[in-house]
Amino acid sequence: MNEKYIYIYNNSFLSLLNLIQTLFKNKIVPQNIKPQDYSPSLFDKIVNLDIKEDEQVIEDIINYLSSNILNTLYYVYLSSNEHKELIIYYFWGHSLKYKNKIFYMRNLKSVNAALKISKYVSRENHRLKGFLRFKELSNRILYAEIAPENNIIFLLSKHFRKRLNNEYWMIKDVKRNIYCLYDKKDCFFVDGQNFEIGPKQWSMDENNIQSLWKTFYKTIGISQRKNKRCQMNFMPKKYWKYIIEMSEDDEESYN
Amino acid sequence: MFTINNLLDIMVLVIFMNMQEKLTILADSAKYDASCSSSGSALKRHGDIGNTAYSGICHSFASDGRCISLLKILMTNCCIFDCKYCLNRKSNNIKRALFTPEEICEITINFYRRNYIEGLFLSSGIIKSPDYTMNLMIETISLLRHKYKFGGYIHAKAIPGASTYLLNKLGNLVDRLSANIELPTENGLKLLAPNKDTNKITKIMEYIKENKSQTFVPAGQSTQMIIGATKETDYEIMKRSSEMYHNYSLKRVFYSAYIPVNKDNLLPSLNLPPLKRENRLYQADWLMRFYHFKVNDLLNADNPNFNLLLDPKADWALRHLEEFPKEINTCSYNDLLKIPGIGVTSAKRIISSRKYFKISFNDLQKMGIVLKRAKYFIVCDGKYFVNNLCFNRSFIESNLVLEDNLLTSLKGEQLSLF
Repeated sequence: MNEKYIYIYNNSFLSLLNLIQTLFKNKIVPQNIKPQDYSPSLFDKIVNLDIKEDEQVIEDIINYLSSNILNTLYYVYLSSNEHKELIIYYFWGHSLKYKNKIFYMRNLKSVNAALKISKYVSRENHRLKGFLRFKELSNRILYAEIAPENNIIFLLSKHFRKRLNNEYWMIKDVKRNIYCLYDKKDCFFVDGQNFEIGPKQWSMDENNIQSLWKTFYKTIGISQRKNKRCQMNFMPKKYWKYIIEMSEDDEESYN
Repeated sequence: MFTINNLLDIMVLVIFMNMQEKLTILADSAKYDASCSSSGSALKRHGDIGNTAYSGICHSFASDGRCISLLKILMTNCCIFDCKYCLNRKSNNIKRALFTPEEICEITINFYRRNYIEGLFLSSGIIKSPDYTMNLMIETISLLRHKYKFGGYIHAKAIPGASTYLLNKLGNLVDRLSANIELPTENGLKLLAPNKDTNKITKIMEYIKENKSQTFVPAGQSTQMIIGATKETDYEIMKRSSEMYHNYSLKRVFYSAYIPVNKDNLLPSLNLPPLKRENRLYQADWLMRFYHFKVNDLLNADNPNFNLLLDPKADWALRHLEEFPKEINTCSYNDLLKIPGIGVTSAKRIISSRKYFKISFNDLQKMGIVLKRAKYFIVCDGKYFVNNLCFNRSFIESNLVLEDNLLTSLKGEQLSLF
């Protein structure tokens, strides 16, 4: 079999693992691997193996991949990198040979790429632990919007589950239209297509607290040390829209 | 002159000032404290709201590029002391304010729920007496912990001269407790802060060190020195901080470039705070804590100040060129750490990778190791990055300085370490 094909998986991490496992088993080297909803170009040769979701197979995979390799694969999967599936395929392939030593084999292109991407995802997750801003709705539920580069809402929710475990809160990923809802016990992830919240009514205090925070923010900077570049290095502009103390910052002073 | 010595005056302030105004005054007075870290606490408190993150979390960055992680405020900016460099000194005619314990708790909880902050950093001017002030701070933090059931990070400043039993009480409520040494030498302190004395400050550090446990000041203590207000050399400053790291197991010493807020004959008049110098001190501080450098490696009596053009490690390496170039594939971990541009992460990465393959310049690049400065000081498998003849002091020094200045002029401003 000389010709290479694009293989299709079912838009989930487990389905991707299942597919790659099957490719390894049959010694197939794919031209690419893509999710179901990808739009192929004219010359793409697509194969959908339609693999049955077999829990046993997935359990086997999870058992024989060490937890930090599996973790790396998962983080790469959550990234927005357009070649992430192939990177996962090759990283996994190398890991069969090198086992846990794989983390030192940065001279291999796919290994270096995978480690870089997974670091990037975990860094963005860490950043948003700080940059996310809740607003209080009139029923005391906390509501936040984020628009991260990578699909980190699953990782991020773990943090807030521990931190605000005695509050009702929801986080919306505006880019992917996913909600995470927390009811003081569990997190639920809901697609925005099946879930709608009406016009949002903020609590009585909300405005007041926001303006106190903005006052604090403005006051705490030392004017003699002003350093916009340093500020922007640490807090890139792409996040500003949802950071309340930055969102209204007049653009002119930066340009 | 507007000074406040009795509680009645303060009560009047409490009633007639709105929160916006109070917050402005009391955050403005607190902003010169450099510390904002929220890391290092592994204690799991049983609160209703909040926890601490061991790695610390930055929530925002102020216009000066410094991280905002804690709600940094003074309980009050009224003070019976008259330290020359301090905005809140008794003899300054400025607006004074005071937060009640409830007000501090309400703001903290409201900010925390909205994820603006990691916790509270509470300091205070001294009203009536050190003990009286400490008691008020304890009341505030105790309310926050017990009534509001706050489990997040709290950093409190100890008041020099307060009783030991109060230190003990406060230390059990907070994650970090600290006292600022303020100036690098005792003479400096005598000159500029006549009401403070070094002994009172070191006594606090001593006490915290002796009693530190998983529940008492779990994130350890830190301190701060003002740089450039008095005449100390970098050598004296670094000796002092190395001594303090050693004697009191400090987590951090912060260096704060002196910013003139008061006019006084005893104070220098500066146009700009010595930020570059502050930056060099932080770099040297890192070299001491993580790179096994000693103060005497970097500075000595003949050469008591850092080179402002070159970072301390590159400067050291240029003075010890006989130790270089180092072979990446064989030199020890400690030797790797001595190479300018190679940090702890890079050194570890090199050590673990070279077991499996011989590292070339190309590999270093792929491994994500920044070669900008390192390339001048290393060989990979015997090869230098350019002609071997170029390995001499003037070639390397001019290139390093040139690249740095080019970078600075491109960026327009210097970077700070926060």
